[in-house]
Amino acid sequence: MENIQQFSAVKPIIEFRGVSKTYQTGTHALEDVNIKINNGEFVFVVGSSGAGKSTFMKLIMREEKANTGKIVVNGFDLTNMKRKDVPMLRRTMGIVFQDFRLIPNMTVFDNVAFAMHVVGADGRDIRKEVSKALAKVGLGHKARALPNQLSGGEQQRVGLARALVNSPDLIIADEPTGNVDPNMSYEIVSLLTEINRKGTTILMVTHDHNLVRDFNHRVIMLDSGRIIADNVGGEI
Amino acid sequence: MKLSSISYLTKEGIKNTWVNRLMTLASVGVLVACMVIIGLAVLISENVNVAIGNLEEQNVVMVYMKDYNWALYGKEAPKNDTASSTTSGTEATTPENTEKVDENGIKDSDYIIHNEEEAKALCKEIEKLENVEKAVFVSSEEGLESIKESMLEGQEEYFSFLDDENPMSCAAKVTMKDMGKFDETIKKIEKLSGVERIVSQSDLANTINAIKKGVGIAGVWIIAVLMVISLVIVSNTIRVTMYNRKLEIGIMKAVGATDAFVRIPFIVEGMVIGLVSAVISEVLLYFCYRVATESIIGTLGTSDIVKYGDMALILFALFAGIGIFAGVIGSAIMIGKYLKHEGSEFAAI
Repeated sequence: MENIQQFSAVKPIIEFRGVSKTYQTGTHALEDVNIKINNGEFVFVVGSSGAGKSTFMKLIMREEKANTGKIVVNGFDLTNMKRKDVPMLRRTMGIVFQDFRLIPNMTVFDNVAFAMHVVGADGRDIRKEVSKALAKVGLGHKARALPNQLSGGEQQRVGLARALVNSPDLIIADEPTGNVDPNMSYEIVSLLTEINRKGTTILMVTHDHNLVRDFNHRVIMLDSGRIIADNVGGEI
Repeated sequence: MKLSSISYLTKEGIKNTWVNRLMTLASVGVLVACMVIIGLAVLISENVNVAIGNLEEQNVVMVYMKDYNWALYGKEAPKNDTASSTTSGTEATTPENTEKVDENGIKDSDYIIHNEEEAKALCKEIEKLENVEKAVFVSSEEGLESIKESMLEGQEEYFSFLDDENPMSCAAKVTMKDMGKFDETIKKIEKLSGVERIVSQSDLANTINAIKKGVGIAGVWIIAVLMVISLVIVSNTIRVTMYNRKLEIGIMKAVGATDAFVRIPFIVEGMVIGLVSAVISEVLLYFCYRVATESIIGTLGTSDIVKYGDMALILFALFAGIGIFAGVIGSAIMIGKYLKHEGSEFAAI
């Protein structure tokens, strides 16, 4: 862990320099945001509704473009990135959704394999890596089940396996505990922490202050489009 | 894109047609209707062409030549008075011109086609012209015979006096490839040396031409309109599929799928719809045409009807072409629009 942090100190995986975003409706979502997230960090992003968390994440994924400022993610300069290059950026990150976003008519295995098909992996690699990812989240025995046969927590772990399967450098988790019970929330964040220990950067949006407090990671707090706190150690 | 991806996406596309089977069925139904109408238009147009072809074969052009008979009977009086010097019936010469003059007062330079070889050479020359199918030599004797044959029974004898003094010039019986270029071809023939006059049924040629043009234009319009309908139908099916698979597209985009990767299954789906429709249309049209032709043959007793077997391959190629075109273009337009305006919104965060 220490080694990872020493390395990460010299290499930011996400960097915002003077970033502002105003939507066409006139809403100022982010204003002059400056931040660096280093390789191997675990960061909670917190803030009330409308604070700018969603826009912050969308800008990282190049779902939205900043009006001003510069954003660099995983070595990609998003400022003038062409549309055709966006898939390459996204292949360097795994995304975990609050509502799991599993395809209902696909088995657990196929849901995870889907992410590998997209990047053009061959059949043998898919079988191997999907089994590994499912084992990592403790669902190796449920590979043939359909999503509706799983609990909320299990579904979110499938989502996590899907985000992990392409071995991304960065995982973006949008309130991954929003739809699961408190026990399962701890289990999921523990799993993310475990993944982070192996070197993957985690950026997790959450409303759950208990989790933030208990897991002692860096916290970025947004309010009205501005970063109002950036603390290491889970203090809000 | 890797081969494994293409194979995966093709399977996905085929699977989609089954998953959305109700929409697929509706699209196939409408496409089949369009294709059968297109097929009928093609078959009707082909039958009209065959009928017109028969007419065209009959619509020959007679090109009469400047031969001896023309100089003797057809041509206006010779400019010189050499004829007067030949009354004796023996060959004579004028002091100015050493050219021989025969017993009828005709000399070699009065006509251009001197013998059968030269007449046949002119036929060959006519045949070389663009749009000329063939030019058959007709001797003056054959020409007279043909006139007699065209007379009512018993009237041939009125022409028997011509047997000793046949006034017909030799001719070329010309058939054209395309009646649309009738006037243009006639002008070219007229320019050839040795051609005296051309007798043709230009009215019939123009009528044939008008029918051909009409059938052609109607065919093109029918195909064009039905193509547009096919495109709209396939596009709508793909649109429904796309909205049904919004979640999947969102996830694809989130994990780094390229636009091509998202597009391919929909394009495959469109192609499958098009191809299935083509096969069904081919079979359906075969039975419809068989019933129709049997009834026409039974009623009119004609056998000059295009056989389905002769057209089967062309029709299938046409149907498959329309199906694939409608499938590929229809789905490409829809998915392109979707990806541009909505597809990149996976809106989870």
